[in-house]
Amino acid sequence: MKIKAEKLIDNSAKWVVSFYVASAGLWLLAAAFLAYIASAKLTDPFFLSNFEFFTYGKVKIAQANAFVYGWGGNSIFAISLWVIARLAQAEVRGRFLHLAAGALWNIGITFGLLGIFDGHMNSHEMLEMPVEVWPLLFISYSIIATLILVTHRSRLKHETIAPQWFILASILWFPALLIIAWNGLEINPTRGTVQSVLSMWFGQNLIWLWLTPFALGAAYYIIPAIIGKAIDKYYLAIFGFWCIAALAPWSVVHHLEGGPVPMWIPAIGTVMSIAMIFPIAVASTNFHATAFKDINIVWNSLPLRFVIFGTLSYTISSYIGVVFSLPAVAKLTQFSIINEFHFNQRVYGFFSMIVFGMVYYMLPMITGKEIAKSAKSFHFWTSALGVLMLLLAYLIGGLTHGVLAQQPSLNWASSVISSVKPYFLITEMAFVILGFSQLVFVINIWKVLFPNPFKVIFNKSKVSA
Amino acid sequence: MNNIFKFSIGIFSTLAFAWLAFVVGARKQFGDLEPSSSLLEEDGSIPDDAELFPRKLSGLALQGSKEYVSLGCTTCHTQQVRLVEAGFDVERGWGKRPSVPRDYIFHEEVNIGNTRVGPDLANVGQRGYSDEWLHTHLFQPQIVVPDSICPPSPFLYQTISTKTSSAIEVKEFSNEANSAIFIVPTLRAKRVISYLNSLKQDYELPEMSFIDEEDDQLSEESKPADESAEAKEEISSKLPVWLANQISAGKEVYMKVGPGGGMCFTCHQPTGLGLPGQFPPLAGSDWVLGNKERLIKITMHGLMGEIEVNGVKYNNVMAPPGIPPGSLTDQQIADVLTYIRNDWGNSASSISPEEVANIRESVKDRPSMQMWTSAELNSK
Repeated sequence: MKIKAEKLIDNSAKWVVSFYVASAGLWLLAAAFLAYIASAKLTDPFFLSNFEFFTYGKVKIAQANAFVYGWGGNSIFAISLWVIARLAQAEVRGRFLHLAAGALWNIGITFGLLGIFDGHMNSHEMLEMPVEVWPLLFISYSIIATLILVTHRSRLKHETIAPQWFILASILWFPALLIIAWNGLEINPTRGTVQSVLSMWFGQNLIWLWLTPFALGAAYYIIPAIIGKAIDKYYLAIFGFWCIAALAPWSVVHHLEGGPVPMWIPAIGTVMSIAMIFPIAVASTNFHATAFKDINIVWNSLPLRFVIFGTLSYTISSYIGVVFSLPAVAKLTQFSIINEFHFNQRVYGFFSMIVFGMVYYMLPMITGKEIAKSAKSFHFWTSALGVLMLLLAYLIGGLTHGVLAQQPSLNWASSVISSVKPYFLITEMAFVILGFSQLVFVINIWKVLFPNPFKVIFNKSKVSA
Repeated sequence: MNNIFKFSIGIFSTLAFAWLAFVVGARKQFGDLEPSSSLLEEDGSIPDDAELFPRKLSGLALQGSKEYVSLGCTTCHTQQVRLVEAGFDVERGWGKRPSVPRDYIFHEEVNIGNTRVGPDLANVGQRGYSDEWLHTHLFQPQIVVPDSICPPSPFLYQTISTKTSSAIEVKEFSNEANSAIFIVPTLRAKRVISYLNSLKQDYELPEMSFIDEEDDQLSEESKPADESAEAKEEISSKLPVWLANQISAGKEVYMKVGPGGGMCFTCHQPTGLGLPGQFPPLAGSDWVLGNKERLIKITMHGLMGEIEVNGVKYNNVMAPPGIPPGSLTDQQIADVLTYIRNDWGNSASSISPEEVANIRESVKDRPSMQMWTSAELNSK
């Protein structure tokens, strides 16, 4: 009976989720391509330098936007919808609206990225897409979010649990952040460095209040589902949730330390960043105490292996982030490529890994087709290798960069940046590996989602292998 | 937690608190800053004749800031000099002082940035790069900075093979034949360079003055600073503190070349002896030690024509002291006059800012640049 109900829900979600996952995959590839170009341009400034289209600044920013809104947004829609429907034990409603809104969202991002390449970039962090596409994004997002909430409201059980809090909060926070930023930067624009505070607040909150709670919610869902045991010390989860809700919006401005803003702003940011060790510790305890009860399951189940990689990366890097927010350390690391470490750790090491795990867990149930274990395994190891290479290069390179930049006697280009160049080369290689790995992922999922067009190609490749 | 509406109120209110602080509060605190001057009056008002900072950006520079954004320069370049305790930006020479919110009020695009793969640009306009250098750097950074990893922007320039008046001669980095080519900046390139040239925080503001990191070196190397330090010690050993302070402040005005300075020593000499036949002495001068009113008037408006000092006649022009002329404040005039009445063996009563203010009031109808003559001063 229960299995039958789940089957009904999966069927109701099938087309919508497939659409989101498929588009997420395409954006992931686009972002991987742009990431490679950007990193290659750092190692060789003459690479593609004749095309204004491929100016480093544009490529880099287009990559971040394609990644966060394209890959991040679509995978958030897909997984939130499915997890919320499953937990509500309610069928997905408004499928056509979903598809229409999803299409609008993707069109909006496409135009946004074209706008960036065409020189209509905005100067605000993670709002670089031209202002004209924001209304489109906002409307399509609102439709999707409303439909997810409708599914949640029609749930059978009144009580909610941790995955629902985290996912719903992330769904609800994003439009609020967008409206605040939109109002403060466009409709009713602020002047001078108030803009910088707001743009940093938005850009960092997008990671902390949109991607992060979503990924945590997904982990809260999948870990007990695969392990088959309840979350260890579950009573802490609610504390962790409200800690993030209360602290994260304050902590994100610590990057302005010493900058042209009143001192209370970075000071509050730093204090709240240090306080973030509580929610990080809670999530870490919940996840790892549960998962490591049975290390064999974690090792043998690929989805869970991905997710635990993500949660471990979240824990370790968040603690590193706390250390780097201390003023004495921030003095060195503030403007260095450690910033790249933070961003890539969040989006690759944590968010993407959990999304990969969730997609591998979800797709076979929805489509009824299994993904080859060897292909998943190849994807895992290349991802893990690529992410580790990338993060270590940015971490060690960032420390080198930061420490050397604090020696006033060193020449900037020939001493400071030249010492960081080898690390740029490592990141370039890491992005090649990640690109391959993500190509494998996309082929894996497209093969399951849309079997027919690819059948011939894959039969051939199997024969040749 | 179970009711979605109560839940929403909860999560939105946590967000709203931070929003109140960082957006509403920040806006209220520093969202409506106006240009100001470091030469504030005691009551905090801005003197009428003071030059206000920051300067407005030119139209070309404002357009340049948009090009700067659209090319993504912010990805690698910051535009902020951090506080001294937060980093070594001033020591590295990225600015004479830390940046403050007021510096950015005229920037439509505030590009303070957060990553420094390239150098900080907050003060690129005061580093003395020529336009040609900047254009060459924008065209192909490696020509002027061989190790740079900044991407070239050849699409902002027209390349031609013969020299014209607007062309800049460059030798391409990758060009092994070493033959020069000529580039002509497009309007977009000119906008960017105009914007870069406008980036300079080369003024002091009430909330932030220059950091004198070279103070120590100066006192070792240059004599005047050394002497003034000695003089300060000497004077302060004998006189009441307020008078010693006034005298040393006055000496600074007497010796200073630049805003707030009188440049008096250029004519009257650091020794106060003047130059025979050209500039009258101040040491032992009956004009300096005598009537205060005459002295104050001369310091406000200058002096021209024949004048007899200690029985010797001089005929020259003394422009109103200060840069710009006549800009010395009451306090500065009081200080510098007290100083010249008490150095080089002179010893006369001090002059207070109030006395200066009274006399300024009595001659407020006189145009500021109309110099006095000796006859005019002695007749009253």
